[in-house]
Amino acid sequence: MTEQRTEALPVRYAGIDDIVNRVPVSVVWEITLACDLACQHCGSRAGRRRRDELNTAEALDLVEQIAELGARDVGLIGGEAYLRKDWLQIVAAIRAAGMRCDLQTGGRNLTDERVARAAAAGLGGIGISIDGIGATHDAIRGVPGSFELAVAALRRVRAHGLSSAVNTTINARSLPQLREIMDLIIDAGASNWQLAIMTAMGNAADHPELLLQPWQMLEVMPLLAELAEDGRERGLFLQPASNLGYYGPHETVIRNIANDEIHFHGCNAGDTVMGIEADGTIKSCPGLPSPYAGGNIRERRLRDIWENADPLAFVRRRTIDDLWGFCRSCYYAETCMAGCTWTAHALMGRPGNNPMCFHRAREMDKKGLRERLVKVKDAGGRSFDHGEFEIVVEAAAPRVADRVLADG
Amino acid sequence: MAESGRIPELLRLCRGCHEFVRLDEADCPFCGGDLDLLQADYQKRLADMHQAAAELREALARIRLSGGQSG
Repeated sequence: MTEQRTEALPVRYAGIDDIVNRVPVSVVWEITLACDLACQHCGSRAGRRRRDELNTAEALDLVEQIAELGARDVGLIGGEAYLRKDWLQIVAAIRAAGMRCDLQTGGRNLTDERVARAAAAGLGGIGISIDGIGATHDAIRGVPGSFELAVAALRRVRAHGLSSAVNTTINARSLPQLREIMDLIIDAGASNWQLAIMTAMGNAADHPELLLQPWQMLEVMPLLAELAEDGRERGLFLQPASNLGYYGPHETVIRNIANDEIHFHGCNAGDTVMGIEADGTIKSCPGLPSPYAGGNIRERRLRDIWENADPLAFVRRRTIDDLWGFCRSCYYAETCMAGCTWTAHALMGRPGNNPMCFHRAREMDKKGLRERLVKVKDAGGRSFDHGEFEIVVEAAAPRVADRVLADG
Repeated sequence: MAESGRIPELLRLCRGCHEFVRLDEADCPFCGGDLDLLQADYQKRLADMHQAAAELREALARIRLSGGQSG
Protein backbone atom coordinates (compact mmCIF):
# COMPACT_ATOMS: atom_id res chain seq x y z
CA MET A 1 0.00 0.00 0.00
CA THR A 2 1.21 3.49 -0.73
CA GLU A 3 -0.19 6.98 -0.70
CA GLN A 4 1.23 7.59 -4.16
CA ARG A 5 -0.89 6.60 -7.12
CA THR A 6 0.36 6.67 -10.67
CA GLU A 7 -1.29 6.09 -14.02
CA ALA A 8 0.29 2.63 -14.08
CA LEU A 9 -1.74 1.36 -11.12
CA PRO A 10 -4.96 -0.58 -11.78
CA VAL A 11 -8.14 1.37 -11.01
CA ARG A 12 -9.07 -1.17 -8.36
CA TYR A 13 -5.90 -0.44 -6.43
CA ALA A 14 -6.88 1.17 -3.11
CA GLY A 15 -4.89 3.99 -1.56
CA ILE A 16 -4.91 5.36 1.97
CA ASP A 17 -7.63 7.91 1.16
CA ASP A 18 -9.89 5.11 -0.05
CA ILE A 19 -9.41 3.23 3.22
CA VAL A 20 -10.02 6.28 5.39
CA ASN A 21 -13.16 7.15 3.46
CA ARG A 22 -14.20 3.52 3.02
CA VAL A 23 -14.67 3.76 -0.72
CA PRO A 24 -15.71 0.41 -2.21
CA VAL A 25 -13.07 0.74 -4.89
CA SER A 26 -13.60 -2.78 -6.17
CA VAL A 27 -17.08 -4.26 -6.34
CA VAL A 28 -17.41 -7.92 -7.29
CA TRP A 29 -20.92 -8.71 -8.45
CA GLU A 30 -22.29 -12.19 -9.03
CA ILE A 31 -25.06 -11.26 -11.50
CA THR A 32 -26.32 -14.82 -11.86
CA LEU A 33 -25.61 -18.20 -10.36
CA ALA A 34 -26.37 -19.92 -13.68
CA CYS A 35 -23.25 -21.62 -15.01
CA ASP A 36 -22.11 -23.76 -17.94
CA LEU A 37 -19.23 -25.36 -16.04
CA ALA A 38 -19.16 -27.66 -13.00
CA CYS A 39 -16.03 -26.60 -11.14
CA GLN A 40 -14.75 -28.77 -8.32
CA HIS A 41 -13.68 -25.72 -6.35
CA CYS A 42 -16.68 -23.44 -6.91
CA GLY A 43 -17.39 -21.63 -3.65
CA SER A 44 -20.94 -20.69 -4.63
CA ARG A 45 -21.74 -24.16 -6.03
CA ALA A 46 -22.99 -22.42 -9.18
CA GLY A 47 -25.07 -24.21 -11.78
CA ARG A 48 -28.69 -23.13 -11.70
CA ARG A 49 -29.72 -19.51 -11.39
CA ARG A 50 -30.96 -18.37 -8.00
CA ARG A 51 -34.76 -18.33 -7.75
CA ASP A 52 -34.89 -14.67 -6.82
CA GLU A 53 -32.16 -13.00 -8.83
CA LEU A 54 -32.45 -9.24 -9.36
CA ASN A 55 -34.45 -8.24 -12.41
CA THR A 56 -33.12 -5.79 -14.97
CA ALA A 57 -34.64 -2.69 -13.38
CA GLU A 58 -33.30 -3.66 -9.95
CA ALA A 59 -29.84 -4.36 -11.40
CA LEU A 60 -29.68 -1.04 -13.21
CA ASP A 61 -30.78 0.81 -10.09
CA LEU A 62 -28.07 -1.00 -8.16
CA VAL A 63 -25.49 0.23 -10.67
CA GLU A 64 -26.48 3.80 -9.81
CA GLN A 65 -26.20 3.08 -6.11
CA ILE A 66 -22.74 1.54 -6.56
CA ALA A 67 -21.58 4.62 -8.47
CA GLU A 68 -22.90 6.90 -5.71
CA LEU A 69 -20.48 5.25 -3.28
CA GLY A 70 -17.49 6.16 -5.46
CA ALA A 71 -16.66 2.68 -6.72
CA ARG A 72 -14.15 2.64 -9.57
CA ASP A 73 -14.24 -0.95 -10.77
CA VAL A 74 -17.08 -3.46 -11.02
CA GLY A 75 -16.14 -7.05 -11.77
CA LEU A 76 -18.94 -9.22 -13.05
CA ILE A 77 -18.82 -12.85 -12.03
CA GLY A 78 -21.23 -15.78 -11.77
CA GLY A 79 -21.98 -18.47 -12.19
CA GLU A 80 -21.33 -17.38 -15.69
CA ALA A 81 -22.26 -13.73 -16.10
CA TYR A 82 -22.83 -13.90 -19.85
CA LEU A 83 -25.68 -16.38 -19.32
CA ARG A 84 -27.78 -13.53 -17.98
CA LYS A 85 -29.69 -12.08 -20.94
CA ASP A 86 -29.32 -8.46 -19.85
CA TRP A 87 -25.64 -8.65 -18.93
CA LEU A 88 -24.58 -6.24 -21.67
CA GLN A 89 -27.17 -3.73 -20.46
CA ILE A 90 -25.57 -3.95 -17.04
CA VAL A 91 -22.09 -3.50 -18.55
CA ALA A 92 -23.23 -0.45 -20.50
CA ALA A 93 -24.88 1.06 -17.41
CA ILE A 94 -21.70 0.57 -15.36
CA ARG A 95 -19.65 2.31 -18.03
CA ALA A 96 -22.21 5.10 -18.37
CA ALA A 97 -21.95 5.66 -14.61
CA GLY A 98 -18.19 6.22 -15.03
CA MET A 99 -16.87 2.97 -13.65
CA ARG A 100 -14.65 0.36 -15.24
CA CYS A 101 -16.30 -2.99 -15.85
CA ASP A 102 -14.55 -6.34 -16.22
CA LEU A 103 -15.82 -9.85 -16.68
CA GLN A 104 -14.45 -12.94 -14.96
CA THR A 105 -15.43 -16.07 -16.85
CA GLY A 106 -14.72 -19.72 -17.48
CA GLY A 107 -14.94 -18.85 -21.17
CA ARG A 108 -16.66 -22.04 -22.28
CA ASN A 109 -19.20 -20.22 -24.45
CA LEU A 110 -17.50 -16.88 -24.80
CA THR A 111 -18.10 -16.71 -28.54
CA ASP A 112 -16.60 -14.18 -30.89
CA GLU A 113 -19.97 -12.46 -31.12
CA ARG A 114 -20.25 -12.23 -27.33
CA VAL A 115 -16.78 -10.67 -27.05
CA ALA A 116 -17.52 -8.20 -29.85
CA ARG A 117 -20.80 -7.13 -28.26
CA ALA A 118 -19.16 -6.85 -24.85
CA ALA A 119 -16.45 -4.61 -26.28
CA ALA A 120 -19.10 -2.45 -27.95
CA ALA A 121 -20.95 -2.17 -24.62
CA GLY A 122 -17.79 -0.81 -23.02
CA LEU A 123 -16.38 -3.81 -21.18
CA GLY A 124 -12.80 -3.02 -20.19
CA GLY A 125 -11.31 -6.45 -19.83
CA ILE A 126 -11.99 -10.13 -19.52
CA GLY A 127 -10.35 -12.57 -17.15
CA ILE A 128 -10.46 -16.21 -18.19
CA SER A 129 -10.07 -18.99 -15.64
CA ILE A 130 -7.36 -21.47 -16.53
CA ASP A 131 -6.60 -23.96 -13.78
CA GLY A 132 -4.24 -26.37 -15.46
CA ILE A 133 -3.07 -27.75 -18.75
CA GLY A 134 -5.45 -29.90 -20.80
CA ALA A 135 -6.97 -32.72 -18.79
CA THR A 136 -6.09 -31.07 -15.47
CA HIS A 137 -8.17 -28.01 -16.31
CA ASP A 138 -10.99 -30.15 -17.74
CA ALA A 139 -11.14 -32.25 -14.58
CA ILE A 140 -11.16 -29.24 -12.25
CA ARG A 141 -13.72 -27.40 -14.38
CA GLY A 142 -15.87 -30.52 -14.76
CA VAL A 143 -16.33 -30.29 -18.54
CA PRO A 144 -14.23 -32.17 -21.13
CA GLY A 145 -12.86 -29.79 -23.72
CA SER A 146 -13.23 -26.73 -21.51
CA PHE A 147 -9.46 -26.12 -21.54
CA GLU A 148 -9.31 -25.66 -25.32
CA LEU A 149 -12.38 -23.44 -25.20
CA ALA A 150 -10.85 -21.28 -22.44
CA VAL A 151 -7.60 -20.80 -24.34
CA ALA A 152 -9.50 -19.97 -27.54
CA ALA A 153 -11.56 -17.43 -25.59
CA LEU A 154 -8.39 -15.85 -24.24
CA ARG A 155 -7.00 -15.37 -27.75
CA ARG A 156 -10.38 -13.96 -28.85
CA VAL A 157 -10.35 -11.35 -26.06
CA ARG A 158 -6.96 -10.13 -27.17
CA ALA A 159 -8.05 -10.03 -30.80
CA HIS A 160 -10.91 -7.67 -29.90
CA GLY A 161 -8.55 -5.28 -28.16
CA LEU A 162 -9.84 -5.85 -24.63
CA SER A 163 -7.41 -6.23 -21.78
CA SER A 164 -6.96 -9.93 -21.25
CA ALA A 165 -6.27 -11.60 -17.95
CA VAL A 166 -6.17 -15.11 -16.59
CA ASN A 167 -7.29 -16.34 -13.19
CA THR A 168 -5.68 -19.47 -11.83
CA THR A 169 -6.53 -21.34 -8.67
CA ILE A 170 -3.48 -22.90 -7.10
CA ASN A 171 -4.28 -26.37 -5.83
CA ALA A 172 -2.58 -29.74 -5.57
CA ARG A 173 -3.08 -30.42 -9.28
CA SER A 174 -2.35 -27.01 -10.75
CA LEU A 175 0.71 -26.20 -8.62
CA PRO A 176 3.12 -28.38 -10.66
CA GLN A 177 1.80 -26.82 -13.88
CA LEU A 178 2.08 -23.12 -13.03
CA ARG A 179 5.12 -22.46 -15.18
CA GLU A 180 3.56 -24.22 -18.15
CA ILE A 181 0.35 -22.23 -17.63
CA MET A 182 2.34 -19.01 -17.59
CA ASP A 183 4.12 -19.82 -20.85
CA LEU A 184 0.78 -20.69 -22.45
CA ILE A 185 -1.04 -17.54 -21.40
CA ILE A 186 1.82 -15.25 -22.40
CA ASP A 187 1.67 -16.86 -25.82
CA ALA A 188 -2.10 -16.32 -25.88
CA GLY A 189 -1.68 -12.62 -25.15
CA ALA A 190 -2.63 -12.30 -21.47
CA SER A 191 -1.32 -9.17 -19.76
CA ASN A 192 -2.43 -9.97 -16.19
CA TRP A 193 -2.40 -13.19 -14.20
CA GLN A 194 -4.37 -13.32 -10.96
CA LEU A 195 -3.49 -16.20 -8.69
CA ALA A 196 -5.24 -17.44 -5.58
CA ILE A 197 -4.94 -20.57 -3.52
CA MET A 198 -8.00 -22.80 -3.56
CA THR A 199 -10.21 -22.03 -0.58
CA ALA A 200 -12.19 -24.75 1.17
CA MET A 201 -15.60 -23.30 0.46
CA GLY A 202 -18.59 -24.76 -1.39
CA ASN A 203 -17.57 -27.53 -3.78
CA ALA A 204 -13.93 -27.14 -2.74
CA ALA A 205 -14.83 -28.24 0.78
CA ASP A 206 -15.89 -31.55 -0.77
CA HIS A 207 -12.45 -32.00 -2.37
CA PRO A 208 -9.86 -31.81 0.39
CA GLU A 209 -7.48 -33.80 -1.81
CA LEU A 210 -7.16 -30.69 -4.00
CA LEU A 211 -6.38 -28.29 -1.17
CA LEU A 212 -2.82 -27.21 -0.58
CA GLN A 213 -1.36 -28.04 2.79
CA PRO A 214 0.05 -25.16 4.87
CA TRP A 215 3.65 -26.34 4.52
CA GLN A 216 3.33 -26.13 0.74
CA MET A 217 3.40 -22.34 1.05
CA LEU A 218 7.18 -22.83 1.38
CA GLU A 219 7.10 -24.07 -2.20
CA VAL A 220 4.38 -21.76 -3.53
CA MET A 221 5.85 -18.39 -2.59
CA PRO A 222 9.39 -18.83 -4.00
CA LEU A 223 7.86 -20.23 -7.17
CA LEU A 224 5.49 -17.27 -7.53
CA ALA A 225 8.34 -14.83 -6.95
CA GLU A 226 10.30 -16.53 -9.72
CA LEU A 227 7.29 -16.48 -12.05
CA ALA A 228 6.51 -12.84 -11.20
CA GLU A 229 10.00 -11.71 -12.18
CA ASP A 230 10.06 -13.84 -15.30
CA GLY A 231 6.54 -12.78 -16.27
CA ARG A 232 7.27 -9.08 -15.80
CA GLU A 233 10.16 -9.31 -18.26
CA ARG A 234 7.81 -10.96 -20.74
CA GLY A 235 4.94 -8.50 -20.33
CA LEU A 236 2.79 -10.44 -17.87
CA PHE A 237 1.82 -8.77 -14.61
CA LEU A 238 1.24 -11.22 -11.77
CA GLN A 239 -1.48 -10.24 -9.28
CA PRO A 240 -1.60 -12.28 -6.07
CA ALA A 241 -5.01 -12.51 -4.42
CA SER A 242 -5.39 -11.60 -0.76
CA ASN A 243 -5.06 -15.22 0.26
CA LEU A 244 -1.50 -15.50 -1.04
CA GLY A 245 1.36 -14.65 1.27
CA TYR A 246 2.48 -13.63 3.71
CA TYR A 247 5.80 -11.78 4.08
CA GLY A 248 9.23 -13.34 3.81
CA PRO A 249 11.68 -12.28 1.09
CA HIS A 250 9.20 -13.04 -1.72
CA GLU A 251 6.56 -10.58 -0.54
CA THR A 252 8.23 -7.59 -2.17
CA VAL A 253 8.63 -9.45 -5.46
CA ILE A 254 5.08 -10.72 -5.88
CA ARG A 255 3.36 -7.53 -4.73
CA ASN A 256 5.66 -5.04 -6.43
CA ILE A 257 3.37 -2.54 -8.15
CA ALA A 258 5.82 0.17 -9.12
CA ASN A 259 7.05 0.23 -5.53
CA ASP A 260 8.98 -2.55 -3.80
CA GLU A 261 7.83 -1.42 -0.35
CA ILE A 262 4.25 -2.55 -0.98
CA HIS A 263 3.21 -5.39 1.29
CA PHE A 264 0.09 -7.22 2.39
CA HIS A 265 -1.64 -5.12 5.05
CA GLY A 266 -4.60 -7.23 6.04
CA CYS A 267 -7.99 -8.18 4.71
CA ASN A 268 -9.78 -5.21 3.13
CA ALA A 269 -13.27 -6.73 2.97
CA GLY A 270 -15.85 -4.10 3.78
CA ASP A 271 -13.28 -1.30 3.67
CA THR A 272 -12.45 -1.06 -0.03
CA VAL A 273 -14.02 -4.27 -1.34
CA MET A 274 -17.68 -5.17 -1.68
CA GLY A 275 -19.36 -8.38 -2.80
CA ILE A 276 -22.86 -8.65 -4.23
CA GLU A 277 -24.88 -11.83 -4.72
CA ALA A 278 -27.34 -12.24 -7.59
CA ASP A 279 -30.34 -11.79 -5.29
CA GLY A 280 -29.08 -8.42 -4.04
CA THR A 281 -27.39 -9.63 -0.86
CA ILE A 282 -24.50 -7.35 0.07
CA LYS A 283 -21.33 -8.76 1.61
CA SER A 284 -17.95 -7.33 2.43
CA CYS A 285 -16.22 -9.80 0.11
CA PRO A 286 -17.80 -11.98 -2.59
CA GLY A 287 -16.47 -15.25 -1.23
CA LEU A 288 -17.50 -14.89 2.39
CA PRO A 289 -20.28 -17.04 3.88
CA SER A 290 -23.72 -15.82 4.95
CA PRO A 291 -22.77 -14.53 8.44
CA TYR A 292 -20.97 -11.72 6.62
CA ALA A 293 -24.10 -10.63 4.69
CA GLY A 294 -25.03 -7.08 5.65
CA GLY A 295 -28.47 -6.92 4.09
CA ASN A 296 -30.31 -6.92 0.79
CA ILE A 297 -30.81 -3.99 -1.55
CA ARG A 298 -34.46 -4.94 -1.88
CA GLU A 299 -34.88 -3.91 1.74
CA ARG A 300 -32.30 -1.17 2.31
CA ARG A 301 -30.34 1.32 0.24
CA LEU A 302 -26.85 0.20 -0.64
CA ARG A 303 -25.27 3.17 1.16
CA ASP A 304 -27.14 2.30 4.35
CA ILE A 305 -25.92 -1.30 4.23
CA TRP A 306 -22.35 -0.28 3.35
CA GLU A 307 -22.08 2.33 6.08
CA ASN A 308 -24.12 0.79 8.88
CA ALA A 309 -24.44 -2.98 8.64
CA ASP A 310 -22.49 -4.63 11.47
CA PRO A 311 -21.53 -7.79 9.50
CA LEU A 312 -19.61 -5.59 7.06
CA ALA A 313 -17.66 -3.90 9.85
CA PHE A 314 -15.58 -6.75 11.21
CA VAL A 315 -12.34 -5.69 9.49
CA ARG A 316 -12.39 -2.10 10.69
CA ARG A 317 -13.49 -2.94 14.22
CA ARG A 318 -11.42 -5.95 15.09
CA THR A 319 -8.26 -5.82 17.13
CA ILE A 320 -5.40 -8.14 17.81
CA ASP A 321 -7.50 -9.62 20.62
CA ASP A 322 -9.75 -11.13 17.94
CA LEU A 323 -6.87 -13.25 16.65
CA TRP A 324 -6.16 -16.72 17.96
CA GLY A 325 -3.78 -19.62 17.52
CA PHE A 326 -0.45 -18.91 15.84
CA CYS A 327 -1.70 -15.63 14.38
CA ARG A 328 -2.36 -14.14 17.83
CA SER A 329 1.32 -14.01 18.75
CA CYS A 330 2.76 -13.63 15.26
CA TYR A 331 5.40 -10.95 14.61
CA TYR A 332 3.16 -9.53 11.86
CA ALA A 333 -0.14 -9.77 13.78
CA GLU A 334 -0.94 -6.04 13.87
CA THR A 335 -0.40 -5.62 10.16
CA CYS A 336 -1.66 -8.90 8.79
CA MET A 337 -4.57 -9.61 11.16
CA ALA A 338 -4.55 -13.28 10.09
CA GLY A 339 -4.58 -12.64 6.36
CA CYS A 340 -7.54 -13.55 4.19
CA THR A 341 -10.74 -13.79 6.21
CA TRP A 342 -12.37 -15.99 3.56
CA THR A 343 -9.59 -18.55 3.71
CA ALA A 344 -9.36 -18.58 7.49
CA HIS A 345 -13.11 -18.84 8.02
CA ALA A 346 -13.53 -21.62 5.45
CA LEU A 347 -10.86 -23.72 7.14
CA MET A 348 -11.27 -22.94 10.81
CA GLY A 349 -14.95 -22.00 11.02
CA ARG A 350 -14.16 -18.47 12.18
CA PRO A 351 -11.67 -15.74 11.27
CA GLY A 352 -8.50 -14.86 13.13
CA ASN A 353 -6.22 -17.85 12.58
CA ASN A 354 -4.97 -18.64 9.10
CA PRO A 355 -2.62 -21.58 8.57
CA MET A 356 -2.12 -20.82 4.85
CA CYS A 357 0.85 -18.52 5.38
CA PHE A 358 4.47 -18.53 4.24
CA HIS A 359 5.83 -16.83 7.37
CA ARG A 360 3.98 -19.27 9.61
CA ALA A 361 5.14 -22.30 7.63
CA ARG A 362 8.72 -21.03 7.78
CA GLU A 363 8.57 -20.47 11.53
CA MET A 364 7.23 -24.01 11.96
CA ASP A 365 9.92 -25.35 9.66
CA LYS A 366 12.65 -23.70 11.78
CA LYS A 367 11.45 -25.91 14.61
CA GLY A 368 11.41 -29.00 12.40
CA LEU A 369 7.61 -28.96 12.32
CA ARG A 370 4.83 -28.45 9.83
CA GLU A 371 1.07 -28.09 9.95
CA ARG A 372 -1.33 -30.40 8.16
CA LEU A 373 -5.04 -29.80 7.66
CA VAL A 374 -7.42 -32.68 8.28
CA LYS A 375 -11.09 -32.34 7.44
CA VAL A 376 -13.22 -33.24 10.43
CA LYS A 377 -16.63 -32.04 9.27
CA ASP A 378 -18.28 -31.98 5.84
CA ALA A 379 -19.93 -28.93 4.34
CA GLY A 380 -23.70 -28.94 4.10
CA GLY A 381 -24.00 -28.57 0.33
CA ARG A 382 -25.16 -24.95 0.01
CA SER A 383 -23.62 -21.90 -1.65
CA PHE A 384 -20.64 -20.49 0.26
CA ASP A 385 -20.80 -23.13 2.97
CA HIS A 386 -17.77 -24.76 4.50
CA GLY A 387 -16.70 -27.78 6.48
CA GLU A 388 -14.28 -27.76 9.36
CA PHE A 389 -10.62 -28.61 9.47
CA GLU A 390 -8.30 -29.44 12.30
CA ILE A 391 -4.65 -28.42 12.34
CA VAL A 392 -2.31 -31.30 13.03
CA VAL A 393 1.28 -30.39 13.90
CA GLU A 394 3.77 -32.99 12.84
CA ALA A 395 7.47 -33.34 12.25
CA ALA A 396 8.54 -31.75 8.99
CA ALA A 397 9.64 -35.20 7.90
CA PRO A 398 6.37 -37.09 7.27
CA ARG A 399 4.94 -40.09 9.05
CA VAL A 400 5.99 -39.13 12.55
CA ALA A 401 3.47 -39.37 15.39
CA ASP A 402 0.92 -36.58 15.07
CA ARG A 403 -0.28 -34.38 17.80
CA VAL A 404 -3.26 -32.11 17.60
CA LEU A 405 -2.36 -28.51 18.01
CA ALA A 406 -3.84 -27.06 21.11
CA ASP A 407 -4.61 -24.00 19.09
CA GLY A 408 -6.80 -21.33 20.52
CA MET B 1 -19.88 10.80 8.99
CA ALA B 2 -19.33 7.18 8.07
CA GLU B 3 -16.91 5.11 10.12
CA SER B 4 -13.36 5.13 8.76
CA GLY B 5 -11.73 1.97 7.44
CA ARG B 6 -8.96 0.22 9.31
CA ILE B 7 -5.70 2.09 8.85
CA PRO B 8 -3.08 -0.59 8.32
CA GLU B 9 0.08 -0.89 10.36
CA LEU B 10 2.76 -0.39 7.76
CA LEU B 11 6.06 -2.25 7.67
CA ARG B 12 9.45 -1.29 6.27
CA LEU B 13 11.59 -3.32 3.93
CA CYS B 14 14.98 -4.44 5.16
CA ARG B 15 17.40 -3.67 2.35
CA GLY B 16 19.77 -6.35 3.63
CA CYS B 17 17.59 -9.46 3.49
CA HIS B 18 14.34 -8.18 1.86
CA GLU B 19 12.18 -9.15 4.81
CA PHE B 20 9.49 -6.75 5.99
CA VAL B 21 9.95 -5.53 9.55
CA ARG B 22 8.02 -3.35 11.98
CA LEU B 23 8.57 0.38 11.83
CA ASP B 24 9.88 0.50 15.42
CA GLU B 25 12.79 -1.84 14.71
CA ALA B 26 16.32 -0.38 14.63
CA ASP B 27 17.98 -3.63 13.62
CA CYS B 28 16.44 -6.24 11.36
CA PRO B 29 15.19 -9.16 13.46
CA PHE B 30 15.90 -11.48 10.55
CA CYS B 31 19.44 -10.59 9.42
CA GLY B 32 20.58 -8.32 12.27
CA GLY B 33 21.45 -5.45 9.92
CA ASP B 34 21.15 -1.79 10.89
CA LEU B 35 18.00 -0.80 9.01
CA ASP B 36 18.83 2.89 8.61
CA LEU B 37 22.37 2.18 7.40
CA LEU B 38 21.09 -0.42 4.95
CA GLN B 39 18.47 2.01 3.68
CA ALA B 40 21.06 4.78 3.26
CA ASP B 41 23.35 2.41 1.39
CA TYR B 42 20.45 1.33 -0.82
CA GLN B 43 19.56 4.94 -1.63
CA LYS B 44 23.19 5.66 -2.53
CA ARG B 45 23.38 2.64 -4.80
CA LEU B 46 20.08 3.65 -6.38
CA ALA B 47 21.37 7.18 -7.00
CA ASP B 48 24.61 5.80 -8.47
CA MET B 49 22.57 3.53 -10.74
CA HIS B 50 20.42 6.41 -11.95
CA GLN B 51 23.56 8.48 -12.55
CA ALA B 52 25.17 5.65 -14.52
CA ALA B 53 22.00 5.19 -16.56
CA ALA B 54 21.89 8.91 -17.35
CA GLU B 55 25.52 8.89 -18.42
CA LEU B 56 24.89 5.86 -20.59
CA ARG B 57 21.92 7.56 -22.25
CA GLU B 58 24.04 10.65 -22.95
CA ALA B 59 26.85 8.53 -24.38
CA LEU B 60 24.43 6.68 -26.64
CA ALA B 61 22.96 9.97 -27.78
CA ARG B 62 26.44 11.26 -28.63
CA ILE B 63 27.23 8.09 -30.59
CA ARG B 64 23.95 8.40 -32.48
CA LEU B 65 24.66 12.04 -33.21
CA SER B 66 28.21 11.44 -34.43
CA GLY B 67 27.01 8.47 -36.51
CA GLY B 68 24.40 10.68 -38.11
CA GLN B 69 26.97 13.38 -38.93
CA SER B 70 29.46 10.95 -40.48
CA GLY B 71 26.80 9.09 -42.42
